[in-house]
Amino acid sequence: MTQFLAVSNRKGGVGKSTVAVMLAHAAAAWSQRRVLLMDLDTQCNASLMLIGGVGWERACRAGHTIADYFFDRFDKVAEDESAYVANDVGDVAHPRLAGGRLSLLPGSQRLEDIQGELLLKHSKKDLEADAIAVQVRGRMKRLMKHFGHDFDLVILDCPPGLSFAALAALDLAHHVVVPFRPDFVSQFALDRVAMLIERVETAEQLASICLAERRYSCLANCLKGTGHERLLIDQLTLDHPLLNTRLPMLDSIARAFDWDETKQSLEQKYADAVPYLRALHDEVFGVQQLRAISA
Amino acid sequence: MQKKTRALSGASQDAYFRRVFKAYPNLSVDERERLVQRLRQEIAQLRLRRSARSEAETPSPEASTVRAPAPPAGARVAAVPAASISANISTPFDPFSPNVIVVVRTAGRDAALAALTAIDCPDNLRLLAREQRLAVAGDPTSATDLRAAIVAAAERRIANRMAAAS
Repeated sequence: MTQFLAVSNRKGGVGKSTVAVMLAHAAAAWSQRRVLLMDLDTQCNASLMLIGGVGWERACRAGHTIADYFFDRFDKVAEDESAYVANDVGDVAHPRLAGGRLSLLPGSQRLEDIQGELLLKHSKKDLEADAIAVQVRGRMKRLMKHFGHDFDLVILDCPPGLSFAALAALDLAHHVVVPFRPDFVSQFALDRVAMLIERVETAEQLASICLAERRYSCLANCLKGTGHERLLIDQLTLDHPLLNTRLPMLDSIARAFDWDETKQSLEQKYADAVPYLRALHDEVFGVQQLRAISA
Repeated sequence: MQKKTRALSGASQDAYFRRVFKAYPNLSVDERERLVQRLRQEIAQLRLRRSARSEAETPSPEASTVRAPAPPAGARVAAVPAASISANISTPFDPFSPNVIVVVRTAGRDAALAALTAIDCPDNLRLLAREQRLAVAGDPTSATDLRAAIVAAAERRIANRMAAAS
């Protein structure tokens, strides 16, 4: 069964694309999965990290991006979607990565416009606005799901905010990893994205869902080891399931996302962040998590 | 002629201690900060040999090659106490403990007040309030009033968050 894993937070700048790419690298290399990273963020950072600026521009010119895929296929029956996918991406050379185990559906700055166009196009039908939105979102979800045939794991790198694509991705995902930086506003962002993922409308309704049964896990990112962070994380633990793995602020993680045409090993790329990457991989894709995903 | 010693106090003294503690990789940032706060309370002025100061300002090779420890599965950034260094100084006041918001939410107002009675010194209570971002209303001076103001501030913070989520 293909697993759909979303990486999401409505707040920007928390490391969503970084974490999505880290998980994609780790799952392809260490779990030997056929991984597709779907870049739903119009900033396209994950695409730039995996195929560089030239590769991304080439994909845009060829019409092989997520925006093109949604637009071209919205009203058509399912066809072969492989033309939109870039295979063997990333600058990590690992024996197990050979054979295109890590693939990318490149992001596009046009995705928001395309979503608007699709909404307008369907507004001509005699439907209420909400019903049209549900229809567009549902179709996007089904289009994303098509990729389940060719991959073991699809990682959905969501944009900040609530586009149709982001909502469709959250709806489709078996599990959502929510990276956050432990600062004052993060707690509000986590509360809100949690309600969205769990499809509830109030904090009370969210609280009634046992932490172990939630469809998401929060990942503390960019930690400096301060008392303030410890304080906030202890508070968040009362309301949200937090991963035990916590990513410190490391130069090696920041540097790992400079696009480099020279292939290198995972150990070279992540340097002293490898133990954290390993811990994250084991926890997210570990037995316990897999059980939750399959349930 | 240049003096052989130099006096440091206040912020420059704190900065000096931070530089010295940076040379000890076993100490977390949090522990270093607690030691700095403790020393700030104990020491009014530091007189420093100029040579010693320059040594502290030069990162040691040991400090510059510190690598992130290989964490076990479920690794946390939270540090392991560096007993060899901190043991020489009596337990420093930790302004992050108890976590007042967590105690109020899990055990209630009275339990939070009870937990704070372990802190007698008004200055420490003010420090705790500041570090935990609990805005104490008015200007209470007694420890009892400070504790009540801290718990009230924690309740306001909790209400604030609940309102944002509704």
